[in-house]
Amino acid sequence: MASTTTSQKPITTSDSKPEDPQQKPTAALEEDDEFEDFPVDDWEAEETEAAAGGTGTNTQHLWEESWDDDDTSDDFSNQLKEELKKVEAARKR
Amino acid sequence: MEFGNHLYREFEEAWEANNGYRLAATINPDLSAAQLGKIHQSIDPDSGNWKASQEDNVKGSIKRGLQSTSIRTRGFDNDEIKGWTDVYFAYWTVTGTLARARAQGPSSQVSLQLLWTEVFEQWKKFVNALVQGYNNYGFEAWTIPCLYVAGKYLRLFAMQADDERSKNPSENDSANAFQDDFDPETDKHQKLEDCARVLNRVFSVCLNDRAPLEESRKWGIYFIINLLFKTYFKLNSPSLSKNVLRILTAGRGDMPDFYSFPRSQQVTFKYHEGVLNFLEENYAEAEKHLTEAWGLCHKDAIRNKELILTYLVPCRLITTHTLPTEKLLEPYPRLQRLFLPLCRCIKKGELHAFDLALQEGEDEFVKRRIYLTLERGRDIALRNLLRKVFIAGGFMPAAEGEKPVRRTRIPVAEFAAAISLGSQERLDNDEVECLLANMIYKGLMKGYISREQGKVVLSKSGAFPGTGV
Repeated sequence: MASTTTSQKPITTSDSKPEDPQQKPTAALEEDDEFEDFPVDDWEAEETEAAAGGTGTNTQHLWEESWDDDDTSDDFSNQLKEELKKVEAARKR
Repeated sequence: MEFGNHLYREFEEAWEANNGYRLAATINPDLSAAQLGKIHQSIDPDSGNWKASQEDNVKGSIKRGLQSTSIRTRGFDNDEIKGWTDVYFAYWTVTGTLARARAQGPSSQVSLQLLWTEVFEQWKKFVNALVQGYNNYGFEAWTIPCLYVAGKYLRLFAMQADDERSKNPSENDSANAFQDDFDPETDKHQKLEDCARVLNRVFSVCLNDRAPLEESRKWGIYFIINLLFKTYFKLNSPSLSKNVLRILTAGRGDMPDFYSFPRSQQVTFKYHEGVLNFLEENYAEAEKHLTEAWGLCHKDAIRNKELILTYLVPCRLITTHTLPTEKLLEPYPRLQRLFLPLCRCIKKGELHAFDLALQEGEDEFVKRRIYLTLERGRDIALRNLLRKVFIAGGFMPAAEGEKPVRRTRIPVAEFAAAISLGSQERLDNDEVECLLANMIYKGLMKGYISREQGKVVLSKSGAFPGTGV
């Protein structure tokens, strides 16, 4: 038993190695993770994001409700309906 | 600017115009190696009295230059001359080392001499000379842009020095490693920690000015606070910023109005204030500050807008249960990768897919310190799933002339089936009831569980508050 557990160890370490190159780009992202200095010190109200958004400080149109009523024909909704029918059928039996 | 008549005339004109930014330009270290070298060579430390030290010779030269200005007769007194002589001497000293450091190339290269460490130490003396100037030699408030330049580069040089040291481990360091109280984390940011201490002194210089507001150093406070915030965040101890905020709140009555400061300072301050509240899970406060930062931000500052949204998106998920539209994230491919998979799962109520997406992005989420907040989005995904079950239940046969009412008695088994749908893992009835009870407790679903009937009895008016059903 002891020999099998030790022999498994090298496998897990070699498994983790191929991931390393993938992690590098995220590490590079971290470098400039800091809020940047603005190239100018001050700007007019017209140049703010609030003005550019077109609706003053109202950013409502950029956010949406977190539920989805429109799309009830996608795979997941169909699956759900099937599943619920099965439950219904099981209850009636 | 090289030392000589040209510099002293510039000093004189900036002084007469009370133009702090023009003055600050004369002590700018953001120059090429060649330019810095020229500045350093513009004073010969060996000319002058041969018996005097080099330092005295250089200071003598600067002092004579400042004394030659015509503002001597208009209030530029001996104290100020002494103070500015010290400042320019410290600046002159840095230019020599900085020229060599810049000529040597990026700090990543191995070098025998830790030049950036030297640059940092010399620049620190320069900053201290300025602080002395305000504390002892009557420097006027209009000159505070000099403190901006001083603070800004102190932080940059500190980071470069720390970086350089990490790439040039010396024997000294390995000796340190054997000491009991050796902490590699602290050592990694040794100079930056030092920088934070100096910036705190600069902060006090701005804060403790009793002059009337229109000529107060308090106008420098947000610039310096922002530098402190950035430093504390880099040191991985953002909570230290809380002290600064506390002091600021305490002295707010005597402070210029926040909105009279330049917008760049407002946005930077609000961003950090927002993130701080975010990290402390004060999501309502965080949302307020981040939304303000967003609105005030320059429309072309894409990277900063991206950073604001990185926290605003998870924040709004908690506070208002809303998600960003694709239009909002359109200019930010990085944020799309970060958030869109999760948002899709939340919206559709795909619980299992949500768990997978959260796992998928874990490293990135943890790095941005948004993992725990996003994890709480699971509740919303679950709410949406239960809501789908409710809607799929359809309507009860309505009496003539009455509005149809949705089926409000839902078997727990239906919810259980929905929850297991993605993962194909069967949950115990108890577990399912526990999840449902939690939803009710959190106010995401209105109703009660009838255990005898194995059903959930949902409210006829607004079973899922705020979602239209």
